[in-house]
Amino acid sequence: MRSLRIGLLLGLRQIQRASIWTTALIIFVMMLTFLNLVVVSGVLVGLITGAERAVRNESLGDIILSEPTGEKTIIETNSIVSSFASYPEIDSYSIRYKSNAVLEANYKERRNLNTERDIATVNVTGIDPALEDNMSHISDDVVRGEYLDPNEEGYILIGYYYLEESADKFGDVFDTLGIKNPGETVRLTVGDISKEFVVKGIIESKVDDVSLNTYIPEREFRRLFGRIDQNADQRVIRVKSGYSEDDLKKAFVTNGLNAYAKIQTFEEGKPKFITDIKATMNLLGTFIGSIGLVVASITIFIIIFINALSRRRHIGILKGIGIERQAIEIAYVIQAAFYALAGSALGALLIYGFLIGYFERNPIAFPFSDGVLVAPANETLLRFIVLFITTLVAGFIPAWMIVRQNTLNAILGRK
Amino acid sequence: MNIIEATNIHRTFGKGAVVTHVLKGIDISVKAGEYVAIMGKSGAGKSTLMYQLSALDEPTEGDIFIDGENVVELSERERTEFRLNTLGYIFQDYALVPDLSARENVMMPLLMRGMNWAKAEQAADRAIDSVGLIGKYHNLPAELSGGEQQRVAIARAVASEPKILFADEPTANLDSISGKQVIDLIGEIHKRGQTIVMVTHEEEYTADADRIIYMEDGKIVNEKKN
Repeated sequence: MRSLRIGLLLGLRQIQRASIWTTALIIFVMMLTFLNLVVVSGVLVGLITGAERAVRNESLGDIILSEPTGEKTIIETNSIVSSFASYPEIDSYSIRYKSNAVLEANYKERRNLNTERDIATVNVTGIDPALEDNMSHISDDVVRGEYLDPNEEGYILIGYYYLEESADKFGDVFDTLGIKNPGETVRLTVGDISKEFVVKGIIESKVDDVSLNTYIPEREFRRLFGRIDQNADQRVIRVKSGYSEDDLKKAFVTNGLNAYAKIQTFEEGKPKFITDIKATMNLLGTFIGSIGLVVASITIFIIIFINALSRRRHIGILKGIGIERQAIEIAYVIQAAFYALAGSALGALLIYGFLIGYFERNPIAFPFSDGVLVAPANETLLRFIVLFITTLVAGFIPAWMIVRQNTLNAILGRK
Repeated sequence: MNIIEATNIHRTFGKGAVVTHVLKGIDISVKAGEYVAIMGKSGAGKSTLMYQLSALDEPTEGDIFIDGENVVELSERERTEFRLNTLGYIFQDYALVPDLSARENVMMPLLMRGMNWAKAEQAADRAIDSVGLIGKYHNLPAELSGGEQQRVAIARAVASEPKILFADEPTANLDSISGKQVIDLIGEIHKRGQTIVMVTHEEEYTADADRIIYMEDGKIVNEKKN
């Protein structure tokens, strides 16, 4: 206790009397270290979080209903839809019918039947254009042409990845069609049935499920695919702000909806690879950050070592007049703690006061995601604790090395 | 009654062929309340002797009893504790902590002895007043002259009322006027009953000492009572 009191006095006074520029520089280095620890992994995880958010916003919503085990579709879709009115938590929803078909373009211009047909096997989703747009704002993803009109038939939206021009950008990964612009006619074939559609718009999103899809009105889908029972493949629901998706799922289960559909929250239903990549990115960020941690600990070691070495004689005198070694060591540990605290506090202020908001407003544009900065408070606290402890150790070791030297040698400046 | 009783003190430095024998079997005793000045030329071994007597160093051979305790047998930690509770020091170049005010410098050993902050402050202020630096409690060492710094060092040494006060050439870095003031101050402290052992190489500063010990080549060659 006595040593702590003396150590505090010595440590605080050393900080107080130190050059303000030196102190500012050390704190700046500590702030950069803290940012390195939090922001690098935060941005890496943020890339995936951006993709995750996009999937949630533009595709899966907050709750996903899909076919129950042993069934091909959701059962009693219409009854379930009717019951939605009794759930005040539901903000919006969409009903989706999904299947595959062969899409053909430029067949009218094809004069020589020996040439290859311009066809691609595509995902087809039947939607109620109004409900879907209300839920996923999919019309915002139309990059050419227009979105489907609920009152029209015979129009189709085609995902950008099915266009030949996308192959120029991303490589020849998918079957593509030589469609250039909206207004062109395409033919959708399911088994023996074919139907012509006019391309109403080209749709592009960073969510693959959207860009690698074609959308037609649900009525036409059911006719084309023979889905007379109106049972859908997927129902996605957006929960109102302030309500919990877990609570809504519980309410669905309580009311027996799980007998007709498999009910999952977004967290449960999101693709597993997202969780895996996030964990990998976090690990990668932590690894990169830990290099900064090593640099910071060496910096603190050198600073405290030089500081203690330049005060070696005073340390000897303090020991000479009866001040315990621990008190002097504590003084240097307190300095290191101050640098770590001040640097981390400034770093946290910058992250939570500016950077997170900035990246929310100006996400980093990656091909597959709009990257944001993710810095959960508990993980930031953990990184701070790691930095703090490392700094304390880096501060203690040089102080211990100098303080343990022979008292008289230190007083007289002898080696 | 002897407060210091040292017998057959040897101190060597180095190893093998380059051993330097600095103290060569010194016997010395100091009575409680006595003011002893140790004199000698540079290299005579007077400072080395003082370091042994003040438990700052360990003799290669011999025993040193201070206030009945054989300090040679104490561990490093016990010696530190012993110095804190029993001894006071005045070094040649003041040896104040530059980051601490005059008051805080004086408070250091008091706080280390477990005195609470308020009492340590009062005791420090009294000690600073007693060395003639009334009102200079908040000055940093750099804001004080050499003589004033040495007086703060004296205040620090006496504030905790040590049984023995050691002074290692306390005037070495001072001009003659400041040096005289410091010596007078040490003399006054002695008059209050303080045991003092002072190393100096200037005869004129030994006027207040009860006894002067002369050293040469690691041995005591003469003693004189004032």
